[in-house]
Amino acid sequence: MTEEATKENNTQTAETMIRLENLTKVFPAQDEPAVDDLSMEIYEGEIVVLVGPSGCGKTTTMKMINRIIEPTSGRIFLEGEDVTKVNADKLRRRIGYVIQQIGLFPHMTIADNIATVPRMLGWDKKRTSDRIDELLETVGIDLSYRDRYPKELSGGQRQRIGVARAMAADPPVLLMDEPFGAIDPITRDRLQDEFLRLQQEIKKTIVFVTHDIDEAVKMGDRIAILKQQSKIAQYDTPEKILTDPANDFVQNFIGSGPSIKRLSLSRVSDIETADWPVARLTDSHDEARNKMQSSGKGYVLLLDDQDRPRRWVGAEDIEHDGASLEEAGRPAVAIVEANSNLYDTLDTMITSYKGSAIVVDEGGRYQGVVDFATVLEAINAMRPREQDRHMPPPEQRHSGTEQDLQTGGGGR
Amino acid sequence: MTVRQEASAKDPGSAMRLLRYLAMPIFLGLACLALYLYVGIHGLDSIEQRSLNANTLIQQTARLLELAAFSTVIVVTLSVTTGILLTRPFARRVSPFVVSLANIGQAVPSIGVLALLAIVWSIGFWPCIVALVAYSFLSILRNTMVGLRQVDRSTIEAARGMGMTKMAVLFRIELPLAVPIILAGIRTALIINVGTATLGTFIGAGGLGESINNAIRLDRTVVLVTASGLTAILALFIDWLAGVAEDILRPKGL
Repeated sequence: MTEEATKENNTQTAETMIRLENLTKVFPAQDEPAVDDLSMEIYEGEIVVLVGPSGCGKTTTMKMINRIIEPTSGRIFLEGEDVTKVNADKLRRRIGYVIQQIGLFPHMTIADNIATVPRMLGWDKKRTSDRIDELLETVGIDLSYRDRYPKELSGGQRQRIGVARAMAADPPVLLMDEPFGAIDPITRDRLQDEFLRLQQEIKKTIVFVTHDIDEAVKMGDRIAILKQQSKIAQYDTPEKILTDPANDFVQNFIGSGPSIKRLSLSRVSDIETADWPVARLTDSHDEARNKMQSSGKGYVLLLDDQDRPRRWVGAEDIEHDGASLEEAGRPAVAIVEANSNLYDTLDTMITSYKGSAIVVDEGGRYQGVVDFATVLEAINAMRPREQDRHMPPPEQRHSGTEQDLQTGGGGR
Repeated sequence: MTVRQEASAKDPGSAMRLLRYLAMPIFLGLACLALYLYVGIHGLDSIEQRSLNANTLIQQTARLLELAAFSTVIVVTLSVTTGILLTRPFARRVSPFVVSLANIGQAVPSIGVLALLAIVWSIGFWPCIVALVAYSFLSILRNTMVGLRQVDRSTIEAARGMGMTKMAVLFRIELPLAVPIILAGIRTALIINVGTATLGTFIGAGGLGESINNAIRLDRTVVLVTASGLTAILALFIDWLAGVAEDILRPKGL
């Protein structure tokens, strides 16, 4: 996974897509501004997550970008153009918009819902219709749904249509206001994964609002943690924020276990797998025993003829010469795919027999074994690179107040 | 799963609907026939004959329909427009006043409104129309406002967020979604108007009310039963028409 590399590329070489300059919003009949003098830049093709406690102004900030909420002062630039005073309706047709309630039009078919913006832009029928088919395919909804109505869809399907509708006219920018907020945790997780995969292809500039730090870490190329009045507490990559929180506010907000959360950002394929003795199910007992002894490990992993891990056998299992290797030892469980993240891998390892997990490729073929030592090594490798300052290791830090800032159900 | 339910419910549903559509006209036809036979069995004297002949009845029925139709068209135009304006943000402050004004129109007994109009203005067709409009204004206004206000805010926000103009949101999102409730109000108003229009005879607006009124004064039961029976049949028929219109005009997918 070259996620980190792309992220760094984004922040250095990409063009600025959205620039907010001294943006302030004071709602009528309120003394305090909801958003106070906010300036930030969002680069082309990145997902920027605005995250913060309720009422911090993150949604107001996002809604000022497409001027659903008009800023009191300050300026908004889109692709270098000052859009603070341009026609708001025309501006919004250039910006995709997904809200938590999705807001599909109940009296229009799925096709008509998706066609909303293309029709306003005056696309011809053929082009609109082709685009609808293309989008339905992209979000994984069967074409037979074209003429159905929103009430006939499940929550997850509606959410997908909401995203398809927002992307209909291929806007460079998408604004997403807690788009997965009203969906059950299992579906949410799947939709998040799907969306990240989709983003790999479409490379939109996305401003994503959530109150859930776990979702922010998962979705964001960069995260802006906002305090009251949309004051930026820290604006950086998830890795940076988790390993090097800029202040107490950020530290409290990311809550307990930042190092554990950090693990969800790395893949098994990014780390060195341990050397482990393997043998074939068809090998003789002697061969297996020799391999084990020469490696110095107490166990050997048996593979079948398609390289799929089958059984763990220890020295004592091989002693019983009578039984065939097919029956010896324990079945090989705790298997993870190479693209799993380290968080899930660690979870698998904890519940496994010997505290190790077998790594396989998509075809289920053996790739290597990770154990606690390998993961620890990987964690240590992350640290010196990112922890260039005087911060103490995360474990030693005071972590008593994370309960004060419950960040919502992360579900992982 | 909902999809499958829909599909399986469709066939028996449409058969039921056809039955519902046909039941009322058949019933009303039978009622007309019964009235005809009733009049046939009684012999008519010369006074009764003056009311109960094809010409007079058709003319009075037509007048009643005219009164109801004119007043309804006018009141729908006025009250739906007012309802739209009153639900716009700029009218937030004035809307309670307008609604209570419309309340007065409905609170005063209809015959009182007619009498007042006859005194301050004149008698005839148009004063009757004005009275009917005043009387049914509120029910459509209220339903229009309720209908527009019950449209999900997030649907409107999504529409605005995609760059629909306020006008487009009103005509393509808000009004279609409010149609079922507005239509229900119009239907109520129509029925009220047909009934109230019979009172129009007191200020010389004509209609079946004339026969009813004459029958009461001259103590002619046959005429009274026939004229009021026809009024009731007319009201039910219009209600039926409105019901069919509701089914046709209600947006799909709701």
